[in-house]
Amino acid sequence: MKTQLIKWLTKIYPIAKRALKKFHGGVFPSYYKELSSRHTTLQTSLPKELILPLNQHIGAEDLPLVAMGDKVKKYQLIAAADLKNLHAPIHAPASGTITAIEYRQLPHTSGLTGLCIVITTDEQQVEQTNPLNFPAKKGDACQPNTPQALKDIVYQAGIVGMGGAGFPTFAKIPNVKGKIQTLIINGAECEPFITCDDVLMQQHASEVLSGAQIIAKALACPSIIAGIEDNKPLAIKAMKQAAHKFENIQIQPLLTIYPMGGEKQLIKELLNTEIPAGTHAIDSGILMMNVSTLRAIHQAINLGRPLISRLITVSGLGLDKPFNSEVLLGTPFEQLVEQAQPKSALNYPLIQGGPMMGFEVPNNQVPVIKTTNCILANPPQTTETTMPCIRCGECMDACPINLLPQQLYWYSRSHEFEKVEKLNLFDCIECGCCSFVCPSHIPLVQYYRFAKSEIKTAKIEQQKANLAQKRHENKLAREARLKAEKDARIKAKKEAIKQKALLKAANTDEDASAPTKIKKSPAVAAAEKAAAMRKKKLTQTSQYPIDTQTQTQTEEMSKKPALSAREKAIAAAKKRSTQTKSNVENSAEKRKRKAQTASNSPSVIETAEQKAIRRAAELAKNMKKKALAEKNRVEKQTNNAPEDHQLTTSQNTGTGTQDKSVIEKPIANKRAVAMQAAKERAAAMKAKKLAEALQTKNEKIE
Amino acid sequence: MSQRLTTSPFLHNNSSVQKLMLQIQLAALPALLTHIYFFGLGITIQWTLAVLTLLVVETTMLKLRNRPVMPYLSDLSGLITVTGIVFCIPPESPWWLVVSAVTFALIFGKHLYGGLGYNPFNPAMLGYAFVLISFPAEISHWTLPSTLSGHTLSFIDSFHLIFYGHIPSLSLDQITGATPLDAIKTGLTMGKSVTDSLQSHLFYLDALPYGWTELNIAFLVGGLYLLSRNYIRWQYPVGFLLALGGMSAIFHAIDPNTYASASVNLFSGGVMLAAFFIITDPVTSSTTPKGRFIFAFGIGVLVFIIRNWGAFPDGIAFAILLMNLCVPLIDQYTKPRVMGYK
Repeated sequence: MKTQLIKWLTKIYPIAKRALKKFHGGVFPSYYKELSSRHTTLQTSLPKELILPLNQHIGAEDLPLVAMGDKVKKYQLIAAADLKNLHAPIHAPASGTITAIEYRQLPHTSGLTGLCIVITTDEQQVEQTNPLNFPAKKGDACQPNTPQALKDIVYQAGIVGMGGAGFPTFAKIPNVKGKIQTLIINGAECEPFITCDDVLMQQHASEVLSGAQIIAKALACPSIIAGIEDNKPLAIKAMKQAAHKFENIQIQPLLTIYPMGGEKQLIKELLNTEIPAGTHAIDSGILMMNVSTLRAIHQAINLGRPLISRLITVSGLGLDKPFNSEVLLGTPFEQLVEQAQPKSALNYPLIQGGPMMGFEVPNNQVPVIKTTNCILANPPQTTETTMPCIRCGECMDACPINLLPQQLYWYSRSHEFEKVEKLNLFDCIECGCCSFVCPSHIPLVQYYRFAKSEIKTAKIEQQKANLAQKRHENKLAREARLKAEKDARIKAKKEAIKQKALLKAANTDEDASAPTKIKKSPAVAAAEKAAAMRKKKLTQTSQYPIDTQTQTQTEEMSKKPALSAREKAIAAAKKRSTQTKSNVENSAEKRKRKAQTASNSPSVIETAEQKAIRRAAELAKNMKKKALAEKNRVEKQTNNAPEDHQLTTSQNTGTGTQDKSVIEKPIANKRAVAMQAAKERAAAMKAKKLAEALQTKNEKIE
Repeated sequence: MSQRLTTSPFLHNNSSVQKLMLQIQLAALPALLTHIYFFGLGITIQWTLAVLTLLVVETTMLKLRNRPVMPYLSDLSGLITVTGIVFCIPPESPWWLVVSAVTFALIFGKHLYGGLGYNPFNPAMLGYAFVLISFPAEISHWTLPSTLSGHTLSFIDSFHLIFYGHIPSLSLDQITGATPLDAIKTGLTMGKSVTDSLQSHLFYLDALPYGWTELNIAFLVGGLYLLSRNYIRWQYPVGFLLALGGMSAIFHAIDPNTYASASVNLFSGGVMLAAFFIITDPVTSSTTPKGRFIFAFGIGVLVFIIRNWGAFPDGIAFAILLMNLCVPLIDQYTKPRVMGYK
């Protein structure tokens, strides 16, 4: 009823035809299918040379298992990769000699070269027996009953998705039985010009269905549906006839609309289910296989033949006699196209695949690979001038994913990639419907490819940056930890030494009573302090010039001097502790001697104390002297220095503009010297004060 | 700029902006003929003036903007703009009215924003609104259908009126008058009920405005052609006419003395012109299917509001400009569900 209404509506409103199917959008291009389908399939001659790229699938590149000069038999395994990597092995399509293993142009949109095994074919065509290593007993023994057995054979036969994706088929098959509810046979073939699947279904319908049956049995899949566009009535008829021989196989004619053969579109059309974004059809219990893939599976299991040839279409407006043919993998494009009698010289690039999603090959010598379904020779067309987008929404109405291509274009153009991602750019299947209908002739798909690659690159960069940051943070943490450990070690050592010293002192100084120790320590501390001060000064003076120079250095670099300063301080502390030790020893000895001469202990204490005070005072005096000498030296220097030097010194902080290189050094030196002197003075004062305070204290005690 | 296609898809459905604009222009032909039949040949002079202005302004602006002149001049988008303006202004209005409207529309409505595809406001309506506000007197003198005024203006007469403002034999008052919508509006301000206003000679016995009904039907015919060929989207006319018709029907049912019936509202003024030719401009309207409907519906509501409660007899220009402002918002909230997402 509804379809009747829509069909009536299409008479006055042609675009209503879109409503006859279940997914959104779609376009109705001119199909040109009769070009190749009206000619019978052609037997192509054995090529002299077969070029077999080692990467004909999605995944890792295979490694050659043969060497230059080796003789190979037909069906012989010639390349495979480590099982850990996703790949599909490659077999020799014909017997002959390996004449080269070298880089050649690949039939790939990138125009890259890749490693290829080149076989020069021979006349004899020796076949390898049992290339898939089936057990000796033929027949039912080879029929896989478990998913794993099926996967093994499919892997060994080197079968990949032959609709164009090239995903190794074994990896697509689930490991467990019963996971797949529906096996869909994709016979839609929605791309214009291509008729190889059509021909395949007409001529080998039972092989296709037998392949499907094998999978369904191995996976315990209850239903099989074949979707075929209704512009292939002969194929539908042949498939329907063949389906009688099998159980549970349903042949479903479909509306002819591009892109009906897209995985998500076909599933929506046949089962009215949508594959949730970011998941695979397998997750929804659906397995989809192209008719060519199914035939290859049939050949592998029932005939024991690996994938070495495929049916392809050679068509195009530039050819007089387009044809379909079973072609050995590795056959160069040009050889096939020449057979179709080009109308003019082939001075234009051929297209692999259909006109909607195919790509121009970098040169016409590239070989047929497992995913090549069509070679198109369309003489170059000129595009019309690209006009600005007028937001007409034709692209939106045509998009089979229901995206907003006009908005995607707008944001891709202005490099607003966040917005592009938000508009689900990555769900775009690059079917080309939007570009096909664009009245402004904007190459929309190109913009999306650009945006996708930009986003991907940015993400990789981001990941790298994150990793680097993490690494850097880890490094800092490690350094901090090491430093902390070192500090702790030093501290522990220091403590141990102190303890030792104290113990020693206690042992040797048997007569000395507890109060002596307490009273003595401040004096010792004063001495220590003075020593530390001196050390500090030293380190600071040595540090100063560095500091002025390292203003522009990075954080890490600036940490270095600080670290060295700390190290110096630690060293100083160490020295100090040894000094104290010796001091304590000295005083203890002296005290001992004194104790021997004197009879009462208090006097001994007093003398010891006095000695300490005296030493402190002496120290202070020495320091004063030193400071004075230093001061004199500085004064002399400043006096000797030219006048403008003094000027800059008073202006300070090195902002002087003239002749920095000459001036800065003396200034820095002078400043350092002055500071040292000042510090020494301050230290001396402090020591003096301390000594005085001690004296008054002693007096008070007395 | 044409170059060889190097990436897929290698096929195209052969549509182009130029073809699209040409189809829209052709679809306006029935309306043009109807207009000439009822209001005389004045519109052809106005149209010629507008096209000449268009050529001068577009060329100058493209030169100033360092853009190639020919590809952008031949996209015919400017032609649609001037056609929209020409159908809106009175056929015997002074020559400088259409010139200033077109100039303003193209410079301020189109080129200052970056030309075709970048303008947020409908250029035709911007130009019309400009003269509507600036020269209200000239805009309100609409030529009466010749059968009503009893005078058939010749081409020479129209020429004289447009360029000199008068013709020797006739006074202007005899051949121009209020439009039906004007009549209703002024009638209401003078305390005349709508039913009384509809009795005037401007209307047929079944209360449809004379001349204007036919003009609107001609636009409808052209619009249906565009619709069937998918040059315009159904959401625009359906949303717009539904809102305007629905609102007038409701209010007419409540108070027939204040509110004209749906048929009067739908077949007077520039309703069908707007529904199929003006609001369907994709550049300035919402781009999502739902958004288009909301956009059109909003215009319908605003037109009704301005007509009945606003200061202007016909508010299409302002309604469209107001809804143009809402487009980014509408687009944001009407994104279609992408396949595979809940």
